[in-house]
Amino acid sequence: MTTLEQDEWGPLSSLPGNPLMWILILSELLVFSAFFVLFAWQRSLDPTLFNAGQMQLDPVLGGVNTLLLLTSGLFAALAVQAITLGDVLRCRRWLALTMLLGLAFCVVKLLEYAAKIAMGLTPETSNFFSYYYLLTAFHLAHVIFGLGLLALAYWKTSLQNLETSTAFWHMVDLIWVMLYPLLYLLR
Amino acid sequence: MRKAFLETGRPAARRLFTTWLTLVALTLLAMWSAQLDPVSRQSSLPVWGFTLVLLGAAYKVQQILLVYLNLRVSSAGWRGSFLALVWVVMVVVWAAYWASLRGLV
Repeated sequence: MTTLEQDEWGPLSSLPGNPLMWILILSELLVFSAFFVLFAWQRSLDPTLFNAGQMQLDPVLGGVNTLLLLTSGLFAALAVQAITLGDVLRCRRWLALTMLLGLAFCVVKLLEYAAKIAMGLTPETSNFFSYYYLLTAFHLAHVIFGLGLLALAYWKTSLQNLETSTAFWHMVDLIWVMLYPLLYLLR
Repeated sequence: MRKAFLETGRPAARRLFTTWLTLVALTLLAMWSAQLDPVSRQSSLPVWGFTLVLLGAAYKVQQILLVYLNLRVSSAGWRGSFLALVWVVMVVVWAAYWASLRGLV
């Protein structure tokens, strides 16, 4: 992207990386923020029901998933650093590790869903579980899309592709950091 | 090459690692603050418990924005807007939990 093209983005040109990705990040943050506020408000109306629902979740499993995403975020940042230094091989190695941890997150999440469904806990069980499935499935869809973007960056490795795909990945990481305490820890 | 990297304004590996360590430590601290033993889980968290969990989460989001997403090289307006959004959401969530604990809702 030339300086002239960057200037054409107006105020967005001061943001690092692809400005369109920042528009997406901002819009996703606003959507999830609205959900978080809605969840907290609904929970305050019926804390007993929400606490009882939360008791059925495994906070350690959620914590493991948090650590998986945080570590994948580090690897994604190291991949960008490697490509900036011109080391494509190392960049791809970090990207592969990032995707591996992303896949591990998906596996843990799916195992968690399977355990909950086996216990008869579905979105219809209670208001808490409606939010639980809605928020975590919406987030999981973002993780899967992020993995697709990372795979594209692995295939067509360039600084711009790396910056764009890892920015999305960090956004996915960031949303989970807010989602985890809300669903698993706060009561 | 290294000089060219530093000119991009991206965080160095050392900073990335220390940020990751901070994020992991804050996650473990949040799990401790949330008192996850079966007996404590039966009751609501005290104010200090959910305040610590939310403060930790807000700080972690801030670090991801500033270091991993490298928002610190953007304009003060963008940086301030993103951080303000995160802190406003956290304050609203905190207020909802506080009001619920006090029986105000």
